Amino acid sequence: MRHLLAVAAGLAVLAASACSAPTPPRSAVPSATPTGPATLPAPTGDHPVGATALYLKDTSRPDPWVPEAKARELMVTLWYPTQTREGQRAQYMTSKESELTLKGKRVTGVPYDVLNKTRTNAFTDAKPAGRKGSLPLVVLSPGFTTPRSTLTALAEELASRGYVVAGIDHTYENYATTFPGGRVAECVACDSDSDSGFGTKVVGVRAADVSFVLDQLTGSSAKWEGSSLIDPSKIAMAGQSIGGAATLAAMLKDSRVRAGINMDGTTYARIPKSGLSRPFLFMGAAGHPPGGSDNSWDRDWKLMTGWKRWLVLPGADHQSFTDLPLLSGALGLDLRVDLSAARSVEITRTYVRAFFDLHLHTGRQPLLDEPSPRYPEVKLCTPAGKTCE
Amino acid sequence: MTIIRIAAAGLALLLAAACTAPAPPRGEVSTAASTACARPVRPPEAETPTTIDVIEQAYFCILGNYYSGATLDARSLLTAGFVALTQELNRDGRDLPGATMPALTGDRKADWAAFETAYRKITDQVPGLRDKLAIVTLEAIVAGLGDNHARWAHDVKRPLDYYDGDGYGLGLAANVNGPQADGDPGVTLPPLFVTTVQGGAAQAAGLRPGDLIESINGSAPFIDGQASPAINALYPQYPEARPVQLRLLRQSTGRRWTVTLKPGLYPRDPAALQAVQSKLLDDDIAYVRMTGFAPDSANRVLRAITRLRTGRTLTGVMLDLRGNGGGSPTEATRLVSAFAHGKVTAYQCTVDGKCQISRTDDTVELVGLPLVVLTDAGCASACEHFSSAVKDLRIGQLVGTRTAGVISGPAQGYLLSNNTTLGFPTRHHLGPNREVIDRIGVPPDHYVPLTPKDAAAGHDPALAKALALLHK
Repeated sequence: MRHLLAVAAGLAVLAASACSAPTPPRSAVPSATPTGPATLPAPTGDHPVGATALYLKDTSRPDPWVPEAKARELMVTLWYPTQTREGQRAQYMTSKESELTLKGKRVTGVPYDVLNKTRTNAFTDAKPAGRKGSLPLVVLSPGFTTPRSTLTALAEELASRGYVVAGIDHTYENYATTFPGGRVAECVACDSDSDSGFGTKVVGVRAADVSFVLDQLTGSSAKWEGSSLIDPSKIAMAGQSIGGAATLAAMLKDSRVRAGINMDGTTYARIPKSGLSRPFLFMGAAGHPPGGSDNSWDRDWKLMTGWKRWLVLPGADHQSFTDLPLLSGALGLDLRVDLSAARSVEITRTYVRAFFDLHLHTGRQPLLDEPSPRYPEVKLCTPAGKTCE
Repeated sequence: MTIIRIAAAGLALLLAAACTAPAPPRGEVSTAASTACARPVRPPEAETPTTIDVIEQAYFCILGNYYSGATLDARSLLTAGFVALTQELNRDGRDLPGATMPALTGDRKADWAAFETAYRKITDQVPGLRDKLAIVTLEAIVAGLGDNHARWAHDVKRPLDYYDGDGYGLGLAANVNGPQADGDPGVTLPPLFVTTVQGGAAQAAGLRPGDLIESINGSAPFIDGQASPAINALYPQYPEARPVQLRLLRQSTGRRWTVTLKPGLYPRDPAALQAVQSKLLDDDIAYVRMTGFAPDSANRVLRAITRLRTGRTLTGVMLDLRGNGGGSPTEATRLVSAFAHGKVTAYQCTVDGKCQISRTDDTVELVGLPLVVLTDAGCASACEHFSSAVKDLRIGQLVGTRTAGVISGPAQGYLLSNNTTLGFPTRHHLGPNREVIDRIGVPPDHYVPLTPKDAAAGHDPALAKALALLHK
């Protein structure tokens, strides 16, 4: 008998959540009276920010989640520097996306359109500004089930500092993506998210999405009016949760991605034995110390041969790197984390920007070399010694 | 999502047993006797060493909660524990003159006190063996229940370089696996042969389905027609890493050779790991393979059938449950409910014959198509719950070989004070006709075993038979 049980246990380990009740989404914790729609904090850079949504269709592959769909369709938001300081503010998300996201996260007690009323800082379809071939490009990949808009505060900051930012909705991997004409794709991948090997599949899909988006944004047949401003030798990526895992997968698949940041995501892509030599930053919440229960960062760290850092914010949680803390008042949620929303967005913006400035832009960033008195919440880890200070 | 996954991974490990059971009504678990141990509510903290106090907690946890805890002779558990304790002393060359069993009276508390006194006296003399002795003792007490859903999960480790979806072992599956490979071989028939090459060492060594395994580490797999425990070596569990030597015969070429396979991690194809996989066969049969009764898996099967049905007329459904290790009885009942309404799918009974009745959920829409289910000896637990209901309620035909007979009852998980988990059933499972399925299994309506020749040629005779039945 021992054997079957051992096999069963093995299954359970490998099937991960297959047998356990899913942890209720963090955002389902109710709290005080909702405050009404949120306002995102203004970005700190010199440039006003434009934003535009692109519809892209990859006819070279069927959709990996809905194989009957013979092409992979993607919605991408671009944030970029502009000179315009007027016009209509970009919509945070569509009302259908707001409704389906709230339903998916089981948030009740607030109007379903509260998220799409979030006030952003970017001007819709403003004319991109910059010298030809001068702007670095950063790809952003959101967490599972959440739309690309949940990284807007970070995206606007980077755009105000002279980056073009491409936030990708990985279709069928979130509660809702709205296509032109109002067609909505829902979370087909949610169907199998408890399967063993699910994370591996998702990051593979996302890496392919990223390469396709880079093809569409650079080169002679680029799909965006500002494409000629992009410097195709300065491309990097960041993501939260499985989007962070996708960042690593995209770097391994596509050498155009010069550097990457993983914000609190368990990783799945295999780094070859020869190692990964491009720069990489792990930014973790409380659950991601070296030697912690997720083995994946320790495993990958050993195979990274270039510039690398491992930061941990013990007072943060999984969503601290996204817009969720900024939206919690509007959603009537108490996230029960030590970091305030203002502080977590400031830290995320500052460290992410420092990393991209260092590797794509302007050079030295002491912030990433030693613990900072300005940000005592951020610990710099030495994985070999399993310590962070 | 990542945090959910990490938490879930921990939970899944420790709730491996718990997940096979629906939550019992509150009133049932909060009896005075059950205070020895509680259901885990969150992923446990790091494990600490097993001590005599943990063994005591487990002993009273079993007596207070196990299916026959109220009536069993507790002396049998203590004796089983003491046997293992003295055997381990001997194995380590540290036998002691005072290592004798105390007299037991049948008074559960007094007997425990006597056992504990003897245990402490022995282990105090061999402090270096203390942890090991505690582990073998508790393992033996749990094994003493003789229940295939009783298990003590402890010291669960994973290789540090593990990736999501990786397998561990030699990278092969043979026609003798699961319960057959360990102590309960049933009527396993020779020869032993490779059915699947999953990756790893087996793949690197060029093994193929259909290859006969003539010896394992020098031992014959069958002795006088009986499956030998040597077969167990085909399925090492981490951290077991000793190489395994196999002598192989490929019948198609007559080649006979020896390979040494080292257990290790190996990547597996994510597509093959999906709990529910589906495709259309002959343009009119919905084929759905289900590897476990995980949460939501019944709905996933039904959605797959609906998808395959869109825009065409199906003539039948083929459910492939071979190798399905079970999971949630709720999912088993839900899946039955798509093929029959107003029926009982199983009874879960206490030792004094009080039964909970699992009834079909008649809000589930009926599929309304002929059903054939593929089974084998890897179909265990909730898989047998489902298969027995299909057979007894006459909602479809079973094709393949007899199921595992590993369905004593849905296991509940209990957290012990050193953060290890004890799992066992509080009730035993009976089929829709109130028959025992455990250790007997569910016989197929059409017996279609896999031969080495079929495996080598990539033939699936059970699937062919099922197709023929659905096209009749």
